[in-house]
Amino acid sequence: MAGTVVLEFPSEYKFLNIVDLVCNDVVQNLCENRETANEIAISVIEAVTNAIEHGNRECCDENVRISFTCKEDRFCVEVADCGKGFDYQCYLQNIPDPANVYHLRGRGIYIMKSMMDSLEFEMVPGHGMKVRLEKVLKPKAAGEVAKN
Amino acid sequence: MRIESREKDGVVILDLQGKLMGGPDAETFKTTFHKLLENGRKRVIVNLHGVDWINSTGMGILISGYTTMRRGGGDLRLLHVSDRIRSILYVTKLNLIFKCFDSEDEAVASFLDG
Repeated sequence: MAGTVVLEFPSEYKFLNIVDLVCNDVVQNLCENRETANEIAISVIEAVTNAIEHGNRECCDENVRISFTCKEDRFCVEVADCGKGFDYQCYLQNIPDPANVYHLRGRGIYIMKSMMDSLEFEMVPGHGMKVRLEKVLKPKAAGEVAKN
Repeated sequence: MRIESREKDGVVILDLQGKLMGGPDAETFKTTFHKLLENGRKRVIVNLHGVDWINSTGMGILISGYTTMRRGGGDLRLLHVSDRIRSILYVTKLNLIFKCFDSEDEAVASFLDG
């Protein structure tokens, strides 16, 4: 994969499926490990869900922008919303006990942190929150890339 | 998300189709589980065979269904959990709570065995 694939769409849940399809397609061409591909797809869906739900507050007039880039040995995803941001430090430092069944929410950041190699948040003044996710990839064998 | 309900040996099986991701799905599920309890249906299997993927909001919907059934004296078990959904269950340790089955017969029998 050369360059960057970018998607931009209104804050509606129905677009999550398109994100998933594109993400899977891009990742499957780079990585033969099914578990790694699943972890990336799951984390991307969590990041975009957060952007729609908590960032843009499900406001259809506000867009979510996502970019997929492959840099050497790692797959990088950026998800940007237009919201006012939220106290992500609180979620990173005070992750609720995931085994507590009564917690209906609050697992998204925990899932991303567990499944990706790097997770960063950046509040861009006047623009919104940007989340960066990275995952180190084991490259496919040369023949595998050609087959796909 | 589409939900179809059927019954086998007194156990309700909810066949889900689509993506479980929050939004209107939460209210649909809430109503479904409360109606089941009102009608005395306390043993429920959620069949995820037709579910492409789920996010943490969707997981919250399943947890809500589980707690609703447990508080009502029943139980909720999962059937045909894909690798992708299973990895979310493991990382969040919810695999310790949800009983998962690969066979419908075994899932139904698990209720009949107690």
